[in-house]
Amino acid sequence: MKVVFVEHNRCLACRNCERVCSFQEAGGFKSENTNIWVQIDMDQRTIFTLTCLQCDVAACLNICPANAIRRDPHTGAVVVDEKLCVGCRMCVFACPFGCMHFENLQHVAAKCDLCGGDPKCVKNCMAGALHYADINYLANMKRKKVDQTFAKTSPLHEGPHRS
Amino acid sequence: MKIKAIKQNGIVQTLCRMCDTRCAINVHLKDGVITDITPFDRHPVNQGRMCPRGSAAIDLFYHPHRILKPLKRQPDGTFSNVSWERALDEIAEKMLGLKDQFGARSIGVWKGEGVGFYQQEGYPRRFIQAFGSPNYFSNDSACYNGRYMGHSLVTGFWNAFPEFSHADLIILLGTNPPICHPPFMREFADGRERGVKLVVIDPRLNPVACYADIFAQPYPGTDGALGWGLIRYLIETKNYDSELVERYSIGFDKIAAYANKFTPEYVEKQSGIYSHVVENIAQLVIKNRPNISIFPGTGLEHHDNGVNSVRTFAILACLCGNIDISCGLFWPEEMGGRQLNLYGEIQLEDQKPIGADKFPALYDIRKECHSMTAMDYMLGNGEYPLKGLILTAANPAVTNPNTRKVEKALSTLDLFVVNDFFLTPTAKLAHYVLPAATFLERSEIHYFPKRQMVNLTQKVLEISGVRDEYSLWHDLAHRLGFGEKYFPWKNEEEVNRWILEPTGISLEKLRRHPEGYVYKAVRYKKHLKKKLPTPSGKIEFASAYLKSLGLSEIPEYVPPHHICQTSTLYPFVLTTGARKSLFYHSRHQNIPRFRNVHPQAVVEMHPQDAADLGISNDDLVRVTSEVGSLDIRAKVRHPSELRPGVIEIYHGWEDWRVNFLTHDDINDPISGFPALKAVQVKVEKIGR
Repeated sequence: MKVVFVEHNRCLACRNCERVCSFQEAGGFKSENTNIWVQIDMDQRTIFTLTCLQCDVAACLNICPANAIRRDPHTGAVVVDEKLCVGCRMCVFACPFGCMHFENLQHVAAKCDLCGGDPKCVKNCMAGALHYADINYLANMKRKKVDQTFAKTSPLHEGPHRS
Repeated sequence: MKIKAIKQNGIVQTLCRMCDTRCAINVHLKDGVITDITPFDRHPVNQGRMCPRGSAAIDLFYHPHRILKPLKRQPDGTFSNVSWERALDEIAEKMLGLKDQFGARSIGVWKGEGVGFYQQEGYPRRFIQAFGSPNYFSNDSACYNGRYMGHSLVTGFWNAFPEFSHADLIILLGTNPPICHPPFMREFADGRERGVKLVVIDPRLNPVACYADIFAQPYPGTDGALGWGLIRYLIETKNYDSELVERYSIGFDKIAAYANKFTPEYVEKQSGIYSHVVENIAQLVIKNRPNISIFPGTGLEHHDNGVNSVRTFAILACLCGNIDISCGLFWPEEMGGRQLNLYGEIQLEDQKPIGADKFPALYDIRKECHSMTAMDYMLGNGEYPLKGLILTAANPAVTNPNTRKVEKALSTLDLFVVNDFFLTPTAKLAHYVLPAATFLERSEIHYFPKRQMVNLTQKVLEISGVRDEYSLWHDLAHRLGFGEKYFPWKNEEEVNRWILEPTGISLEKLRRHPEGYVYKAVRYKKHLKKKLPTPSGKIEFASAYLKSLGLSEIPEYVPPHHICQTSTLYPFVLTTGARKSLFYHSRHQNIPRFRNVHPQAVVEMHPQDAADLGISNDDLVRVTSEVGSLDIRAKVRHPSELRPGVIEIYHGWEDWRVNFLTHDDINDPISGFPALKAVQVKVEKIGR
C-alpha cells in the first residue's frame, strides 16, 4: 500500500503542498480547501506537516453512517464519495489525527485521495520531505535514517570499545 | 490568437523560467494545447520536483491580458494597434534622428529579469554597442551585482550557488531560500541528515530559522560588523588557513590590524547580536572550517555598505580555507562558447557610460550603467541627455527606487519602447509596446556554473504576431544599418550554433540531453595551480584597485545611514523585498490563484510597535519617508519575527508600490546599489 509520508526534519514550510492540494481540490490556492497542512509554531519554532495516513483500520470509514467513505481499489486510498456524504461530520470527529476536513460551502467531508495515485503535493515538494511510496519501504527508510542519526550522536553507537 | 505547437501531442522537455532557478519541466501537449506541466525527473537541479510557479507557466502563456500585437500610444494617451513593420520602421527612424541630433549615447537599452540572462542579456548588450552607445542598463542595478562585486573584488569570481549539501556548516545571511531558491531546500535537508549546522542571520525570522542552531537578528545593514567580529576571532585564536594566507593572498596584515576593534562586545553594540552569540558562531566556524557554505542574499547588498559587507564575508570564507571547494567559493570554469557582447571589439568608455563616473567599479566589473543615475540624465540633469530607451521585460516604474521620479523621467523620453508580455505600469508610459515571447516560445542556451553544465531550452509553441527577443534586436539592427555585420543570423537557432561552434558541442547533442550536459568535469582547488582572476592573481583582502578609485582598500565597516543619522521624524526602519513564494519581483501578480495566497500588500510590524501606535491587524496605515508615502494595510507579526522598530513591505506590488518610499540617491559607493533594505520612515494609522 502506497501512502504520502512526511519526513518532518526535511520540511522547511514553503507551503507549496497546501497550495497545489487546494488547487487540485477546488481550483484556487485557498488554505481552507487543502488536505495537507503545514503548521508553523513561532513560539516553539517548530514546523509540523500532516496529511492523511490512509489507515488500514480507518476510523473515518468505519464510522460513516452513509457509507460514503470507501477504499479506492486501485490506490488503496480512503476516499469520500461526495454524492453519498450527508455532511454529518462524524468522520471529522472520529479521525484521531485531524486529517478529515469539512467543506463548508458544499457541506461534505473531504480528505486526501492521493490524487488518484499521482499525489501533486509530492511532486511539488522541493525539499524532498514528502514521499509517495510503499509503507514498508518508507518505514525501512526511516529506520535507516534513525540509525544514522544515532550513530552520530549516541555514545552507545560509537562502535566496539577498544580494550 | 493563432498558436502553433512544435508537436500536436506529446511531451516537450525544457527549462522553466518562471523564476531564475530554471528547473527542468515536461510540457504536455494535446491537440496543440498545453494541458499540464510536470517536473522532469532526470535533471540535477530539481530532481523530479517543481514548485507551483512552474505549472503556472500555462497561465502566463494563455493569459487573457497578454499583449499580442504591437501598440502605439496616441496623442490622447490611449494605445492602438500598429503593424510590426510600421512600429519597427518608426522606432528605427526615431533612433537615427536622435543619434544625429544628440549622439548615439542619447539612447540606451534596459534588459529586465522577465526575459532572463545569458544570451537574452547578450543581445541587447551587442545591439546597443553596435549602435554606438555604452548605455546598457538592467535589473542587475538593484540585484546580484552587489554580491557579485563583493566576491569578485576578493577572489575574482563568484558562483552564486554553493553545494550546500556538502557543507558541515551553512551560514545564511539576509536570505530565505525556501522562498527564493526552492531547490536549495533539498540540499539543506540532505545536509541536515548528515548533521550539518545551520546559522541564520536575518532581521526577519523566517520558518527556515526553525531549524537553525543559531538564529541571530541584527539591525538591518550591520552584517559587516558581525563579519569583522568573526574575522577577528579567527585571527586572534590563530584558527585560519595560514598557508592560504601566506602563499595565495595579499593584504592580510591590513585586515588583521583593522579587525582588532571588533570584539564580541563591539559587534553587539553595532549589530544588536549578543556578544556570546557572536562567539558561538565563531566557534562553529572554527570547528567546521573549511567545509562552510556562507550564502549572502540580497539582504546584504541593498544597503549603503552592501558590497563591503559581502566582501567581509568573502574574506571570512577565504580565511576558513573555503576557496574553490564544492560547498564554498567554487570557481566555475567556462564552456568556452562565443560571447554575444562586443566589449573586445568596440570600446565605448570614452562615450561616458552613465554612472561610470560615480560608480566606476560597477562599469569596470559588470559593464553596467547605473539605472538610477539614468533617471537624472532623462530629466536633463546629466552630463548629456538620455532621450531614447528600449526596455525589455523590466518594470522599473514598480521596482526601481523613487518610483515617482522614475515615472516622471520615463515620461520625458522622446522615444520609449517597451517589449513585454503585459501592459505593466512601465509599459503604460511607453510610445511603443511590443509583444514579448515567453520562455515557452524561445530556444536558448542556459548554463549551470556550479555543475559546469549546459542546457538547451526548447521552443514549445509560437503565437503568430509575437516575435522572440532575437528577432526584435535583429530586425531593428537591420533597419539601423548594422544588421548585416552584427546580427547576421536568421534566427535563434543559428545564434545558438554560432555560440556553441568553438566548443565542439552541437545543438543536436544538447537536444539529446534535457538533463543537462556537463561541458567540463568539475575540478576543485584550481587556485593552487592557476592565478586567480583578480588584478594581483591572489586573494585580495585589500584591493589596490579600489584604493586607486579613492575607495577604502579593505572593506571597512561603516554603519548604515539609519544608524549614523537617526531621525526623530522617521523613527522606523523599513526593509523591502522579503520574497513571496509565488510572485517573482513584480511578475505573476495577475495569476488569479496566486492572488488567493497574496491578495494585497501589507506592512508587517512588531506587535509592540503596533500597540504603541494603536494599530491592529488589517488597519489602514500610512507609511511615509522623505521621498513619498504609501497607504497600506497592517499585518502584526509574531514578536520574534521582526525586531521592534523594523517594518517590512514586499517590493513587487503594482498597486502598492513600496518604491514610492525608497531613495534613489542613498547608494553603495562601490556598486551604486540603492538602500532598499533600510529606509527611514514613519507609520501612522489612518483608518480601519
